[in-house]
Amino acid sequence: MPFSLSTPKDPAEAFRLLVAGRPGETALLAGGTALLRDLDEGQNHATHLISLRKLPWNRHAWKGEALEIGSTEPLRTLENDPLVRARLPGLHQAIEAVGSVALRHRATLGGNLGRASPASDLIPVLLALEALVNLRSPRGQRVVDIEQFIISSRQTAREPDELIESVSIPRALPSAYVWQRVRPSNDISQVGVAVALGPPPGRWRVALGGVSPRPVRLPEAEEALVSRRPSEAEVELAAQAAARHAPFVTDRRATEGYRRRLVTTLVRRAVRSTAEHRARRAGPKGGR
Amino acid sequence: MIRSDLAAKLAGRTTFGADLDRPGMLWAALVLSPVAHGRIRRVDLSKVRKAPGVVVAITAPDVEKLLPKGSGDPERPVFPTREVLYRHQPIAAIAARTLSEARAAALLAEVDIDPLPIVDDIETVFPEWPEPSKKPNSAVVAHVHARHGDLEAAFREAEFVHSETYRTAGVHQVALETHACLAEVEGAIWRVTTSTQSPFSVREDLSSQLGLPESAVVVEGSWVGGGFGGKTSALLEPFALLLAAAAGAPVRLALSYREEFLLGRTTLPCVVRIESSVAKGRVTGRRVRMLLDCGSTMPSRDFATGYAITFLLGPYNVDTFEVEGYGLRTNKPPFGPHRAPLIPQLTFVIDSHMDSIARRLSVDPIAFRRAHVWHEGDSTALGQRIGPSGIDSALERAEKTVLRWRGNAPREHGFGIGVGYWSTGVSAGGEARLRLTPQELVIEQGEREIGSGSVVRGLVAVAERSLGLPASAIRVAYSDTASAPFDSGVFGSRTVGALGQAVQKASEELVRELEARTGTKGSLRLEFDGRSIRAVASGLRRPIAELLTPEELNEGGLKAHGKFYGPPMKFDESRVVAGSFYPVADVVGAVHLAEVSVDRETGAVKVHRYAAFHDVGVALDMAMVRAQVEGGVVMGLGTALTEESLWSSEGSLRNPGLLDYRLPRLNDVPPIEVYPVEGFPGAGPFGAKGVGEPPIIPVPAAVANAVADATGARVFELPLSPERVARALKLL
Ligand SMILES: Cc1cc2nc3c(=O)[nH]c(=O)nc-3n(C[C@H](O)[C@H](O)[C@H](O)COP(=O)(O)OP(=O)(O)OC[C@H]3O[C@@H](n4cnc5c(N)ncnc54)[C@H](O)[C@@H]3O)c2cc1C
Repeated sequence: MPFSLSTPKDPAEAFRLLVAGRPGETALLAGGTALLRDLDEGQNHATHLISLRKLPWNRHAWKGEALEIGSTEPLRTLENDPLVRARLPGLHQAIEAVGSVALRHRATLGGNLGRASPASDLIPVLLALEALVNLRSPRGQRVVDIEQFIISSRQTAREPDELIESVSIPRALPSAYVWQRVRPSNDISQVGVAVALGPPPGRWRVALGGVSPRPVRLPEAEEALVSRRPSEAEVELAAQAAARHAPFVTDRRATEGYRRRLVTTLVRRAVRSTAEHRARRAGPKGGR
Repeated sequence: MIRSDLAAKLAGRTTFGADLDRPGMLWAALVLSPVAHGRIRRVDLSKVRKAPGVVVAITAPDVEKLLPKGSGDPERPVFPTREVLYRHQPIAAIAARTLSEARAAALLAEVDIDPLPIVDDIETVFPEWPEPSKKPNSAVVAHVHARHGDLEAAFREAEFVHSETYRTAGVHQVALETHACLAEVEGAIWRVTTSTQSPFSVREDLSSQLGLPESAVVVEGSWVGGGFGGKTSALLEPFALLLAAAAGAPVRLALSYREEFLLGRTTLPCVVRIESSVAKGRVTGRRVRMLLDCGSTMPSRDFATGYAITFLLGPYNVDTFEVEGYGLRTNKPPFGPHRAPLIPQLTFVIDSHMDSIARRLSVDPIAFRRAHVWHEGDSTALGQRIGPSGIDSALERAEKTVLRWRGNAPREHGFGIGVGYWSTGVSAGGEARLRLTPQELVIEQGEREIGSGSVVRGLVAVAERSLGLPASAIRVAYSDTASAPFDSGVFGSRTVGALGQAVQKASEELVRELEARTGTKGSLRLEFDGRSIRAVASGLRRPIAELLTPEELNEGGLKAHGKFYGPPMKFDESRVVAGSFYPVADVVGAVHLAEVSVDRETGAVKVHRYAAFHDVGVALDMAMVRAQVEGGVVMGLGTALTEESLWSSEGSLRNPGLLDYRLPRLNDVPPIEVYPVEGFPGAGPFGAKGVGEPPIIPVPAAVANAVADATGARVFELPLSPERVARALKLL
C-alpha cells in the first residue's frame, strides 16, 4: 500500500506531526520490521508514517545497575554491550532470539512493545525484570509498569499523542530466557519462558510468551519456587503449575496441548539456568 | 569453470521477468476470488474502470471479444464463468498506468458470489479409505491401479504383514523470483516474454487455451530467478496477453510474493497406506494405496498419480504387488510440479517403511535395502529393464560412512539412510543448432537459464567434450519460439540428458563435415588459442577460417542441426488394471545419510552432518554437480523439517509468506558432503545422468530414519516439526 513518510528531526516536531495526524491514518515507524508486514497484510491501514529514526532515543545507558534502553535503539547495539550479557543474561538471550542478525540491526525495543505481540520474545523477559515504560507526550512524561502497558495484541496503554521514549530495567538480576520454534532461526516462538530471581529475599518471577492474548506473569509457578536454590521438586511443581495455568491456545504455530507440554520443559530449563547464573555470580561459596 | 551468466547476475544486470520494460507499458493486477468455492452471480468492474490510471479491465464476458476465434478452450476458461473453484482464483484483470493504480483499482471490483460447500480434506471426501472406492465419487479425478503376482498368497504365507499409514504436506517451490511476464499484441502476433522453464510449453498452452494457431503465438524466455517446477506451464500469460489486446499497449504482469504463494501451483497433501508381507527376511509382496489432493485440477489429469505411484515400491525388487491411487479434486489451486513432483514425499513413505521393516526384523537397515535394491538387468514394477545402476554402490559407500561417523559422534545421535531414485526425462525431446565461426562456437537453442546452470554450463560442457573446445570458445544463444529450434523445457532433470544429446549430435555432424572437407577420418578435434579456432587431426592443423565457404563466413558460420527424440519406451501393459501409467526413462539413484540429534523433551530435530552419494553416470562438471546436490539437500531439508502449506477450513492458505512458510535458513543447514558415484553410465551424453531433481528425493526419508535411529520413534507425517516428533515420542 502506498504511504507518505516524514522524518522529524526532534521529539517536538514528531509530536506536532503525531497530534496533527488522524488516528488510524498515521503510524509510527521505528525499524519497520513489524509495521511494514502489518501494512502489507492489511492489519494496519495507515497512509502516513512518522519515522522515529532521527530522535535522540537510539542508545542505552547504565545508571549503576539500572539500565535505560532508548526506544529507537537497534536491538543489535544493545546485544553487543558485554554488560548486558553479564548483568541481564535473560535479556541478552531474549534479544538474541529475535529474528536474525539482519533483523536486529533494524528492529527496536520500542517497536516490539508497540506491536505487543503475544509471541514477543522481549515482553516476557521485561515482565520478569519488572521493567518500566517511559512515555512522553506534549503533556509531559509518564511511567507505566510493563505489566500495565501491554494490553493485548497490537494494543497498549499508550495514548494517541504519546511516544515510547525508553524502557527502564531497575536492576541487574540472575535471569534466563528459553524458547521453542519450528525452525530455530528467524521464526516466531511457539512458547517463550523468562525467569528472573528478584533481589533479596529472592522471589522468583516467571513470565510466558506464546500465550493469548498477551505475555503474562505466572504467579502459580512463581509461588512453587520458594527457595533461592530451588529443589528438583520445587522446579517440578513450578513446571506443572505453568502447564496448568498458562493461557495457551491453538493457532497455526502450535497446538495448545504441545504448548502445555513444552512449557514444563522450558520452565525447568529457565529456572536451572538462572540458578546456575546466580551460583556463578555468587562465587565458589555460593549465596544463601 | 566460471559460469558465463555469473558476472551479469552478480552485478545486477540480468533482466529477470519482473525487470522487463517497454515504452508505453501498462501495469497489471488481478482481481482474486474472495471465496474458495461458489457460484458467480455478478462481477461488476464499473468502479474499477473509472478508477484513476486504469486503462482496461476485463473479465469472463470480455474474453470472447478479444480472441480472434471467439472463446478459447471451454475446458480451461481464462476467467471462471459460473463457478470459482479455489480461493484467490483470478476472476478479472486490470491494466493501469502504474502498478499502485492497478492494485488499488483491483480492490474496487464488486464481486458477488454465492458460497458453496468446500472440499479441503482428502480423507473425508473418500469415506472408503483405505479401501478402494465402491461407489462413484465425483471428487475422484484420477484412478490408477496396477498389480502383478499373487499378492493374496504372499500375504497369506507371510511371517508378518507390516502395515503403516503415512501423510505428507503440501510444499511450495518458493523461487525467489515470482511469476512475471510482459505481453504485446501486434497485428495477428501474440507475443509474450516470460519467466518460464519452458517457452514451447507456454506456447502450446496459450495456443490451446486461447484458440490461437501456434504460429500466432511467440514466447520468449526471460532470465529465470528460479523455477523448481513452478514455471513449466502458462500461468499469467493469458491474462497479460488479453489485457495487451484490450489496451493496445504492452502489459506487464508480475505477482507479489504473497500472490505467488496464493496462486502458485504446488505439491498438495497425500496419504499413503503401505503394507508389505515379509518372509525369511525378505519382502515378498507389497500393497500400496494412495490418495492425492489434486486441487481444483481438470478431470483426467492423472499424471501425478499415474506417474508417481510406482515410486512407492521403491528402487527395490518386489515382483508381487498392487498399487492403487486416487486423485481427488479439492478447492485448492491446481496441483503443480515441484522439483521431482511428489517423489521426495513418496520416498519418505517407502524408505521409512523399508527402514521400519528392517528394525522390526532387527537387521541392519542398509543391509536390508541392499538385499532388495535394483541392479542392472532387474526390472521395474511395470517390467522395464534397469540399465547400469549405481544405487547399490552408493549404499555400500554410505554403509562405510555410517561406521566412520558413528565412531566419532555422541552416543545419542541417530543415523538414517534415504534411498531414492528418479528417471531422467530423456524421453522428452529437443533440438539444437550449432554455428561454428572462425572465432567461436554458438549453441542456438530454445531455453533460458533457470539458475541451475544446465543451459549456460551443461550444454556448453557437452559441446566441450564433443569437440575438444574450451568453454571460453563456446557461447549459448537465446531467442524466441519463432526462431529457436524446438525443445521440451528445462524440467525432469532432462536438459543435459536430452537437449544435451541434440548438442552432441550436432557436434558430431560438425566434425563429420569438417572431416569430409579436410579428408581426415575419425580423430578431428577443435582447438582454440584465445582468438581463433583450428581443426586438428593427425597431420592436420588448419584455421576454421580456411575451411568455411565465403557464404558460411558471411552468414554466421558452418551450421549443424542436432535432434534428439528419445526412443519410444514400453512397459508391461498387462500389469495395468486401470488408468494411465508412464514408463521410466533412465533410472538414476541417490543414497543420502543424515546424522541428527533429537531433543527428547521438545521434539526438536537438529541435523549435524549430511552426506549424499549420487549415481551421476559421468560428472560432466563436478562443481555443478556439487552445487545441484547441495541445493537439493537444503531444499529437501525444508520438506523434511519445516515447510508446509497450511489451509484454513475456508480454503485459504494461512501462511502465504516467508515468515510462516519456513524455508531452511543457512544457520540451520549442516555441512554437506557430496560424493559422485561414477561408472554406471546413463542414457545422457557421455553417460551423464540428470542431477537436477535427484538430490531432493532421499532427504525426508534420511532425516526421518535418523530420527527413528536416535529415538526408536517413527514419525509418519511430513514435515517432522518439533510437535510431530514430540507426538511420536509420546510426549503428548
Ligand atoms: C522475519 C521476522 C522475524 C521476527 N522475529 C521475531 C522474533 O523472533 N521475536 C520477536 O519478538 N519479534 C520478532 N519479529 C517481530 C518484530 O521484528 C519485532 O517485534 C521488532 O522488535 C519490532 O521492532 P521495529 O522497530 O521493527 O518496529 P516497527 O515495525 O517499526 O513498529 C512496530 C509497532 O510499534 C510502534 N512503535 C514503534 N516504535 C514506537 C515508539 N517509540 N513509540 C510508540 N510506538 C512505537 C509502531 O507504530 C508499530 O505499530 C520478527 C519480524 C520479522 C519480520
